[in-house]
Amino acid sequence: MWISLSYACWGISVVLALWMLYDWFKVDTTYSEDVLTSSREGELEAVSEKHRI
Amino acid sequence: MSRYTPPEQSKAGQVFDIVVVVVAIFVALWLPLKLGLAGAAKSIDALDAKTWEALGQNPTMAAIWEKLGYTPETAHDVIQNRFHYVIDWPTLIIMAAVLIGYFVFLFRASDREYRDVISEKFDDK
Amino acid sequence: MTTTVLEPAIHGDRVSLLRVLGPAHVWALGVGIVLVGEFTGWNFSADKGGALAALIVCWIVGLLYTSVAMIDSEVTSTVAAAGGQYAQAKHIVGPLMAFNVALFLVFAYTMLEVSDAILLGDTIVAKAGVEGLTHNSFIAATIVVLAWLNYRGVLMTLNVNFVITAIAYISIVILFFSVSPWTQGAVLKLNELVTPGNALPYGWIGVIAAFQFGIWYYLGIEGTTQAAEEVRSPARSLPYGTMAGMITLLIAAAMTWYVCASLMPWEYLGITYYPLWDAGKLTGSPLLENLLFIATLLAALASANGCINDAARAWFSLGRDRYLPSWFSAVHPKYRTPYRSILFLLPIALAFAFIADLNQAITFSILSGVLQYTFMSINIMMFRKKWPLGTIRRGYTHPFHPLPAIVLFCLCVVTFFAIFLGFGSQLIAMTIFYFLISLWFHFYRYKFVRRGDQFTMPWPKPQGY
Repeated sequence: MWISLSYACWGISVVLALWMLYDWFKVDTTYSEDVLTSSREGELEAVSEKHRI
Repeated sequence: MSRYTPPEQSKAGQVFDIVVVVVAIFVALWLPLKLGLAGAAKSIDALDAKTWEALGQNPTMAAIWEKLGYTPETAHDVIQNRFHYVIDWPTLIIMAAVLIGYFVFLFRASDREYRDVISEKFDDK
Repeated sequence: MTTTVLEPAIHGDRVSLLRVLGPAHVWALGVGIVLVGEFTGWNFSADKGGALAALIVCWIVGLLYTSVAMIDSEVTSTVAAAGGQYAQAKHIVGPLMAFNVALFLVFAYTMLEVSDAILLGDTIVAKAGVEGLTHNSFIAATIVVLAWLNYRGVLMTLNVNFVITAIAYISIVILFFSVSPWTQGAVLKLNELVTPGNALPYGWIGVIAAFQFGIWYYLGIEGTTQAAEEVRSPARSLPYGTMAGMITLLIAAAMTWYVCASLMPWEYLGITYYPLWDAGKLTGSPLLENLLFIATLLAALASANGCINDAARAWFSLGRDRYLPSWFSAVHPKYRTPYRSILFLLPIALAFAFIADLNQAITFSILSGVLQYTFMSINIMMFRKKWPLGTIRRGYTHPFHPLPAIVLFCLCVVTFFAIFLGFGSQLIAMTIFYFLISLWFHFYRYKFVRRGDQFTMPWPKPQGY
């Protein structure tokens, strides 16, 4: 039982790893680099937090 | 001061930088393992008489060891495997010097960079 | 403002991390990472100095981490950005420090993740007791499945973490109450196992040496700050979740020590990889044994899960500021996670999980952690000096300043000495690595960084500049 569990673990790892690679490839080819890397630090603070004391 | 415009990095340059970092990480983590630097000084103080009493175990302890599947013979190497704390002064001094030197460099170089950041951010407008 | 962002981003939009988390998720992230320390790791401090030393460091290191949690809550409720201490260092000390802090974080969490995966694999192998079964498949599955979970979204990741952390925690409580902790002699035999003769077998130097693994009772609680860009209300949730987490852990640590020290001799306690599971076995109840077996696995999973989350965010922040190639700062348009950072760190974690052993991985993690706490104690001093109370809005202000910072700094010095007693050359090797990579950053890599853009907080100019 434990040996088959071990094979199942390899199986799951391979499938999920391949899925992530596939998704990564899909995302990188669908969206432009500018969109993907458009996150900026501190956006929330600039928009919603008013620094009044 | 004028605004600093960083050069655009080429794709190859980016890949190269990633490789440098990864190699550095592996060397830093793997080299100590390879050189056998990792791990503390533990050694077995062998005893001739391998009984629970000689190993300093009272009946309660002995009962638990037996429940865990040990005999006085097999437990001997566990119990007598002791640390030998010796303060190796040269190593301690080197370690302290490396750590202090590292932090001093870190804070001084950071401060130099930080002054640029602040002056560009606040004095430029 | 958080309700509309769930739909996938369209072209031309900005994609950022998703603000969906509440205080319970912060708690789950912090305690989830740390709780595995009760299931393995803390007990090596008994090896270093005896059972009583393990208890003493449990309290003293608890004090260290209470200082960490207080300091962290103040700074991070003010500098709320992914990367946590990295963003703090960038705004308060400077870019090079920030770069180093991010590396401390990535190292501490990745090596902790590696330790968790090894622990999980070894636990299953020990339970199975089957000839020829190795831990590799379980390690691979742990790391890959959790990376996948992290890839698919932070909310699900931390919901899972909340559930499994809670189960693991409750199992410690169940163990504690089922051994009738109020009576000694029936199941628990503390006064026969910890005697005046063996309580401190190495004397006080053993207590100091025990600090190294005493860190393991709480290492990682400061990881709550990594979620800063994903919690709905960072100024409130982060201090609340972190403090609640710290209290939870102090209780768990005390219960764990009491039960384990009352059930096994310190020589065994110091070398076992599964102190709580062994405690379950020694009660003689199969139910408790199986419960603690499962709890050990869950705690390891929760910890690895949180570590992937935190390491990826720190790495992502490095890319976003161009400290590393900006390629890493990509956010998945649908799942809103730093997916490239998650994928990049996955093979590194796998590689180390296959080549390192548990003890070494834990030590790497502790080294980076202590370097980071040393930074934090100096950081808070500088924070209060550059922006004194009243000049900016703080979500939380910690009491008794500068006492916690001084306590933290002194305890870090003691811990460095403790590491010297066991792993001195490794500490030197690591510090030299950080030094060299700092030179690389300062003299080469920093030229790609935009100067003023790094400072993103809407604060006034710091005093003294």
